[in-house]
Amino acid sequence: MQIGRIHSWKKVTAQILLLALPTIALAFYLLWNVNQYYAVLKNEWFTQGWYFATGIVTALVFYGYRFRFITTAALLFLVYFGVYKLLGNITVGEFDAFFVSVQFLIFTFLFSTAWIAGYGFSRSRYFTVFWSVFLLALQIVVVSKTTDITASRLILAFAPVLVYAFYIIYTAELIRNMNEDEPGFAWFITKRLTGFIALAGIVLFSLLLLFQKEFKEIEKDWGGGQGKNNKDKGGKESMTKQNKDGSISNKDQTRLTGSLSKDKRLVFVAHLDSYFPDGKTPNPLYFTSTYYTKFDTLTQTFETDEKMPFNDLFTPNPSKIPLYFTKSDSTVIKNTNAVLSRKVVSTDVYKVILSPDEYIAPSTAFYCQPIPVENEYKSQFKSAYRAKMWVSDLNSAYFIYNPAGNQQLLDFQQLRFEKLRESNSYSGMDKKFMDYYTFMPKDEDYNRIRELAQRITKDAKTPVDKMIAIRDHFTSKDEFDQPLFKYSDNPGVPGIPSASKLNYFLFENRKGYCAYFAGATLFMLRSLGIPSRIAAGFLTVDRSSKNPGWYWFYADQAHAWVQLYFKGYGWIDFDTTVPDANTQQSPQPDGTPPMNTQKAYLVADGTALTVDTVAKRVKMKVSKMLYHDQNYPTDQPADLVLDVSIASITKDTGAARLSDVKTGTNIVAVSYAEVLKNLAPTEIDSFGSIVKKLPKPVPIDEIKIMETEQEKKEKKELAAKQSKSVNWVNILWITLAVIGGFMILLFSLPWLTWQYLHAKAKSNNSVRQKAYNIYNASMYYLNQLGMPRDFKSPQQFAQDTDSRFNSSFNAFTNVYQKLKYSSIPLSENEQTLVKNFYPGFISQVRKQIPDKTRFSRFLNIYNTLHYFTKPKIT
Amino acid sequence: MEQQIEIDQALANIQKLVDNIETVIKGKRTQIQFILTALLAKGHILMEDNPGTGKTVMAKTLAQSISGRSNESGVNFKRIQFTPDLLPMDLIGSHIFDDVKKEFIFKKGPLFCNVLLADEINRASPKVQSALLECMAENQITMGETTYKLEQLFFTIATQNPVEMEGTYPLPAAQLDRFFIKIIFGYVDEETELSIYNNYLGIADNLNNIHQVLSMEEILFLQGETEKVFVHEEIVKAVRNIVWDTRRHNDIVLGASTRSGITFLKCLKAFALVNRRTFVTEDDVQTITPAVLDHRLIYRNRDAKAKALLSILDKEMDRLGKMKIAERA
Repeated sequence: MQIGRIHSWKKVTAQILLLALPTIALAFYLLWNVNQYYAVLKNEWFTQGWYFATGIVTALVFYGYRFRFITTAALLFLVYFGVYKLLGNITVGEFDAFFVSVQFLIFTFLFSTAWIAGYGFSRSRYFTVFWSVFLLALQIVVVSKTTDITASRLILAFAPVLVYAFYIIYTAELIRNMNEDEPGFAWFITKRLTGFIALAGIVLFSLLLLFQKEFKEIEKDWGGGQGKNNKDKGGKESMTKQNKDGSISNKDQTRLTGSLSKDKRLVFVAHLDSYFPDGKTPNPLYFTSTYYTKFDTLTQTFETDEKMPFNDLFTPNPSKIPLYFTKSDSTVIKNTNAVLSRKVVSTDVYKVILSPDEYIAPSTAFYCQPIPVENEYKSQFKSAYRAKMWVSDLNSAYFIYNPAGNQQLLDFQQLRFEKLRESNSYSGMDKKFMDYYTFMPKDEDYNRIRELAQRITKDAKTPVDKMIAIRDHFTSKDEFDQPLFKYSDNPGVPGIPSASKLNYFLFENRKGYCAYFAGATLFMLRSLGIPSRIAAGFLTVDRSSKNPGWYWFYADQAHAWVQLYFKGYGWIDFDTTVPDANTQQSPQPDGTPPMNTQKAYLVADGTALTVDTVAKRVKMKVSKMLYHDQNYPTDQPADLVLDVSIASITKDTGAARLSDVKTGTNIVAVSYAEVLKNLAPTEIDSFGSIVKKLPKPVPIDEIKIMETEQEKKEKKELAAKQSKSVNWVNILWITLAVIGGFMILLFSLPWLTWQYLHAKAKSNNSVRQKAYNIYNASMYYLNQLGMPRDFKSPQQFAQDTDSRFNSSFNAFTNVYQKLKYSSIPLSENEQTLVKNFYPGFISQVRKQIPDKTRFSRFLNIYNTLHYFTKPKIT
Repeated sequence: MEQQIEIDQALANIQKLVDNIETVIKGKRTQIQFILTALLAKGHILMEDNPGTGKTVMAKTLAQSISGRSNESGVNFKRIQFTPDLLPMDLIGSHIFDDVKKEFIFKKGPLFCNVLLADEINRASPKVQSALLECMAENQITMGETTYKLEQLFFTIATQNPVEMEGTYPLPAAQLDRFFIKIIFGYVDEETELSIYNNYLGIADNLNNIHQVLSMEEILFLQGETEKVFVHEEIVKAVRNIVWDTRRHNDIVLGASTRSGITFLKCLKAFALVNRRTFVTEDDVQTITPAVLDHRLIYRNRDAKAKALLSILDKEMDRLGKMKIAERA
């Protein structure tokens, strides 16, 4: 049997050279790009590119012949299925089968995509448009998964696809319209293409020049340019992030990127009320900011999971709580699942450059109470709060840096390991909890980590011994008696999150900073079935002998480590990061701790009503009150006149002036006045009676401005602005959605128009109007179904329609023409004809054209355009 | 009321006439309608095509069905075969010396008739062709000092062979303008051709059996009725637009004249009547425009000849077709 050709060899060659080759080149590039991000692809972009190339070229040659798509594609899938079955049978071993099947899936996906692309190039006129949109969407997905976007990377991601999109749409049309019999068409195409490429190059280059500034902005928004902002303050990437107001908070990620900050600025100072059993040796604890419990396998990053089971992360915003008032959450204690050896410990945190919104405390915190800073320290410490934690007796910052020779600490270590060895199984634990905290991806890369973990912990029986074994692995020496793992802020791994980064760290480079150690430890623990998570915050170093219990935190102490769960004992901190040999852990000179000695008798929270800056009087509406440490809530706010002549005015960001207090400002007034000491409340006192009892005006020592109306507004605007600028991906998606919506609208336009005309034709009007509507709708309908009137006369057209559909359109047309051009009124019969003609006619037409044909015809916007455009005189 | 019945009767007779001719000339319904249109519009018709397509038979059939077999009762039918050596005198007649009265008397030529079949008109020299001008336009003949009136009903059916054929003189534009309608006769379709072959004896019989269906009075009456056909203002506008567009078109060297416009309108009215209507519709415009205008225009090239008028018509038809019908005042 001879199979007819659709395209000549010349045309197929042109398609392969001009359409397939650039597509293959782009596919190689995209695959190389995607391979950087997706572990499952295994960095075999070259092979994968060939899969694609084979698919597209085969399809182009194949569909140059007169083959049908549906049957051939079905055949292709049948072949896939057969090969898949065969593969399952011949391979030995479970792992091999999985591996081969994944490879096969990638192959089938790429080959099919290329096959469809080849078909589209060969046969479908609008395919290139869809294809370009598809590729752009793909790029958006990839880019949205990227954490550290730079302008150049953004351009590298989008520019090739954009250029390709324009090129392919243009060239496909060129090839479609080419006349291959014409002599010298190769030269013609070359000329056209050269012109096009030159034009595209000029446009793109000038766009880049024009929007260079905007690109940098995007870069900044996505956090990639952070390094440039912080250049003078530290390394390229740091564990902390700079806020807009100059304060810092813990960075919202422990992604394995960049290097650690060498920033020596003081972040905060804390007094921690935690001591060893002897009661005087301070037991420092790590300060936790957040937990990373989930691992995103696609982007190879750890994530904070809002929905983690047994959520024990307490995250109040201290700046939102009035001074001395408290906020606590007891569910976090329950969620720790810790019943043994736990006690409540409190800490006072004095913030220097830590963001007022940030709450940081050893785990597991459940209580927050903002406290004032004594006048003499106000210049250094902006705000403070007291936190309370449900802390394990066995927890301690001493794990890696055991002070050699300190017998007491060594004893403590021994003691707590002994205790933790008692907890040697996780039987009876909540399954959801175990599954969640021991989840790790199943992949070759992770299997290597699993094997390593099993090898180094083969002698260890209990979770804590396994943990010690892992630590020992990190601190072990190599054959040259050098430390096996070294600390490095610059591990020399490319900035792109890659699948094998942790492998590279564990098996080859062996250099990294805390996030590397924590991440590697986490996977080793999880592979051994030990529930664990990454904690991020600040590591605590005890450097003060003068002021036991006081700790100073510098920016370079921002840290990440792991927490292990022990049944009964709860989460315990372990740090496997090796010390940095290059920088000395020299103790920072301690300042004087900002001790708070005064006792607040009255704390009033409310809004300022009138402010007299001359007489130093403030009238406020009190809505909440603490008096002699007792809380007096009320439903009926009372007015109170305050004497603020000696009061110090503060804000979260530091000292303020009385003039900052305006009507409507939310303030907290605190009094340490001796007068109030003697006015102790009795048991029967209520809010109202105390307000009455107070001297007028009340002497006030401290006023804290919570948030003025203006600040509230500004903050909102800032948040709106920030969210706006960050949502580039969203904007791209929205643009795509708009384009998509527009396409849908465009394709449904013929149908919508029809619905409109149809409804009009069915509505009841005068006979003249109705006849017009019916005629209009019928003509539109017939035109849309591929029967335009064109050069026929109305009657001729009606007769043709009638002979095709066996209808009575001619009779109607005659009546309509009479209505239109004659002065004779319609007869009774003619009027009934107009009234009854339409529904029958449409259903007759509908009956004789299959649904499929009607559907495809109604997608054809050209028919509609043809109907509505006026013919031009040629 | 009396009038109405007469119109209906006359219209029915037209239909009968068409049917009558169709028994002889098969598959040429539109052409028959055009001929009748020219007749009712008080115009003349020119039929062009290769020899042997039935032009002469058509003319003869028509003449017979309005004149009847004998010339006394009905219309007077004459046929002239034009040849290169034909002289004007052979058409209009000549003065001959009367031996008895001793004076020149005027011997009327074949032009003094009701229906004239001018066969192969373009075979005659321009001189002869021009002799037809006055009689076709003004229904009169001036010879020397005397002007002779022609009959009230004077209808010329001219046939011509395509200009490219040997031994033809192209008709001058002024002459062409006198013909209201020019139709290309064309071959019949395959089916009809087969039936013609099968029945050629029967057709010859039919031609002999053609009887009169329309009397002279009826034709004159219908000619009068044609003037009363209602033409909607939009149709008049359409005629104006089409005429104007022919003048503006880049590929038309000579557009339609105002007289052509009037002829156009007359033809529209007559065509409506032939289609048994007393008002003109878009259909009439669509069907008749090429027949009325095409031979009056001079095109720049062949391509334009094929396309220009059609596109002008298409534009106007599109306007008419989508025009909303105005509520009657």
